[in-house]
Amino acid sequence: MFRQSRPPDPDQDLVTRAREGDTRAFDALILKYGDKLYGLVYHMTSHKEDTHDLLQEIFARAYQSLKNFRGNSTFYTWIYQIAVNLTLNFLKKKKRRSGLSLNELDAAAHQDPALIDSTHEANPEQQTHLNELQVKLNEAMQKLSEPHRMVVTMFDIQGMSHGEIAKVLKTSEGTIRSRLHYAHLQLQSALQETWNERF
Amino acid sequence: MKPSIEQLESLLALKRYERPEEGYWQDFLGEFHHRQRQQAVANTGIAGLWNRVTSWFADVRPSGWAYGAGLAYATATIALFVIPRGTEVENQPAAPVNYQVVPSPAEPVEQLEQLDLSPETQGSVGEQVF
Repeated sequence: MFRQSRPPDPDQDLVTRAREGDTRAFDALILKYGDKLYGLVYHMTSHKEDTHDLLQEIFARAYQSLKNFRGNSTFYTWIYQIAVNLTLNFLKKKKRRSGLSLNELDAAAHQDPALIDSTHEANPEQQTHLNELQVKLNEAMQKLSEPHRMVVTMFDIQGMSHGEIAKVLKTSEGTIRSRLHYAHLQLQSALQETWNERF
Repeated sequence: MKPSIEQLESLLALKRYERPEEGYWQDFLGEFHHRQRQQAVANTGIAGLWNRVTSWFADVRPSGWAYGAGLAYATATIALFVIPRGTEVENQPAAPVNYQVVPSPAEPVEQLEQLDLSPETQGSVGEQVF
């Protein structure tokens, strides 16, 4: 019986060159995955400065650990794992330091325009309603536990598949589906009031 | 009325279009390279070694410390059983507080009369017999 071969990592060439000390190759990897990782970290922290610092740390850690990257997974999965671990560690430390929940600390972040989509500007009234909904949605997202928020961010916002998320979080697809189901129920309930008023 | 799952997913999907402001990544790369250079300088010499050691300790997770402590405890316990200890000295039972020491009868002092002090048995000072 033949083992099904994994498709080659599309970043193999850039990774090899970066490992050999080509900083431009690593810059290319940063530019390729920067937006996605920014979205992941920002939706978890809801804080721009924290997101920036964490991204610097994530890419620095990846650059230093590149010599240990054995290619058992794709570079994309590997750097996502680094981002998830560092972000969750950061959130734990932040909670411990402050003794407050993230929701209390980052209340102002709910109004952050960067979290509000700006692609639907055709109908101003509808856009206002949509913005209100987005604010409510951001609040509801912050109330989710970190593992649930992580799964919603990766699946619903970043469009990753259950399988990809399971690989990154090193858990089963069943667990991912279960977390998503629970998180969706929470978000639906949180949006109920605003939804009734506007739609 | 609650939004349906499809409506919720559509709402969440709108967030896909969110991006950091223009020029962000150019500034980010500049800062990244600057930090890497600083890191390279900091990692040379004794200060660098110290930095690496402290960062290693900082990176050890709570579970790592727990495993370490457990391992140390297990090692100490095993050592306690395996390493031979010295012979134990059995303590004599303590005498009761009201115990009285009865002096044994003194030996009679040897009388001078019984000693043979005749000149035959006594040598003279400085006298040598060959």
